[in-house]
Amino acid sequence: MNFTFVDWAIVATYLAASVGIGLLGKRYVGTVSHYLVAGRELGLYVGIATLAATEIGTITFMYNAELGYKYGFAAFAAAIISGIVMIIVGRTGFVISKFRELKLMTVPEYFEIKYSRGLRIVTGILVAIGGILNMGVFLKIEGEFLTIVSGINARHIVAVMTVILLLELLYTVLGGMVSVVITDFIQYVLLSIATILVSIYAVYFAGWGNIVNKVTTVMGDGGFDPITNPKFGITFLVWQILLWFSVHTCWQTTAMRMFSTKSPETSKRVMTWTGFIFLGRGMLPMLWGIAALTLYGTGALSNGVPAPVVNGATLTPIDAMPAMLANILGPGIRGIVVAGMLAATMSVNSSYLLGWSAVISQDVILPIRQALGKGALSSRGQIFVNRVANLFVSLFLMFWGLYYTPPGAVYLYLNITGTIFLAGAFVCVIGGIYWSRSNTTGGYVAMISGAAGAIIPFFFLHWSENVTGFVAFGLAGAGLIVGSLLGRQRARESQEAIATD
Amino acid sequence: MNLWLWFWTFCLLVAGASFAFITVVVTIKGAKDLQQWFKTLQQQNRE
Repeated sequence: MNFTFVDWAIVATYLAASVGIGLLGKRYVGTVSHYLVAGRELGLYVGIATLAATEIGTITFMYNAELGYKYGFAAFAAAIISGIVMIIVGRTGFVISKFRELKLMTVPEYFEIKYSRGLRIVTGILVAIGGILNMGVFLKIEGEFLTIVSGINARHIVAVMTVILLLELLYTVLGGMVSVVITDFIQYVLLSIATILVSIYAVYFAGWGNIVNKVTTVMGDGGFDPITNPKFGITFLVWQILLWFSVHTCWQTTAMRMFSTKSPETSKRVMTWTGFIFLGRGMLPMLWGIAALTLYGTGALSNGVPAPVVNGATLTPIDAMPAMLANILGPGIRGIVVAGMLAATMSVNSSYLLGWSAVISQDVILPIRQALGKGALSSRGQIFVNRVANLFVSLFLMFWGLYYTPPGAVYLYLNITGTIFLAGAFVCVIGGIYWSRSNTTGGYVAMISGAAGAIIPFFFLHWSENVTGFVAFGLAGAGLIVGSLLGRQRARESQEAIATD
Repeated sequence: MNLWLWFWTFCLLVAGASFAFITVVVTIKGAKDLQQWFKTLQQQNRE
């Protein structure tokens, strides 16, 4: 066991405070708008905290550290792209301003306004499947982190992660977005402190000169130059730009923060400033991964990179960073860092639980109910359906998330599962806002061909992630254009409806 | 390679400094934002 009494006390205090404060949020929930989009009253600074906390989890630290370990400084390109694209989206208001003006609660809701209720349901189903599969790997990897850093016996990890999931579920189900935002704020502060502490420790122990030498020795130019690195190259970089534009505009949990802000102008400022945080969100954990390579990369070569060997045991690259933390952090600091990582875990999981369950309830269950001729539900009824969907998503995660192991680099698995719906959704949203001829037929073809373009090449033809990503976005774009040109023109009325909303 | 190393070092410094700076600002000003938000939610619930 690596943890001392002080470490346990810090973690226990954090957990109790976080859940207690989260439960306070319930008293402010009066309507479904409070429950899903925080009453649309978030200011700039809380908006930044909740957006950053939502998209920075232990899973983020783990997959970015893995990228750093495997590809060295060249991996920084992915982080830079995610941050700069976010800043561009924030500065220009690309998509997000229009979304905020429309007062949406979910991304698929836009599809009913622009296209049709049927397409909203199809999109809702694809978004829920892609999102839940994406989140499905979180628990296992977060559990690995906790096991390695704290020294808890791996046999108990299922129980530990189940308890953590239940704790975050408790306040998310009861207080919805209000509780999630309050806890996100505290969790953001704590995870940021942990991030800064770990970065200082990693560079101090590994040494900047040693880090540069190790990458040079192991990877040569490819460890620095993302264009010549065999895993990356121009195709990867262009795909990443496309992917991050779609994530920052159409990813449900990110979009929910934009919907929750006071005004379109506030949403733009939140996105811009969080873009700067995103630079560190990617690059700092990548640096930890490179430091772990420097300190422990002494094993047999696998794909050109030495396996990490820590205390005589050979590990996988993704486990190198937590193993490094277990060795370099002292008592007390280790407790703060683990509490920070738990904060990151809980903020992401609670936001994702709320995001995907909102899609299931608002975009699948409620529209089907309306299509069957049943009346609209009251605000209280909608909150109840959301809570039930929340429980359903949690149950799925507990069984799927703890037993499924993703193939290859986790970052790329997450990219591909996201692309299942992002390719079609992004194309449809862009077409819907900026191309007056886009219509429902084109929307259906885009959503289905985008999903097929992500699933078939990657899972069945085993093409690379880069090519798969291009195919998915390319098919979705072509599908929207061809489908819209061949389908009946219905778009203008909808477009006018949007313009006058 | 040297150019890339300089570039990544510069980016890393900008990223680390931005991360730390925004954390401090958000921590201080976010607390006020939260208070204001609670008041608005309470008011909305009363109406």
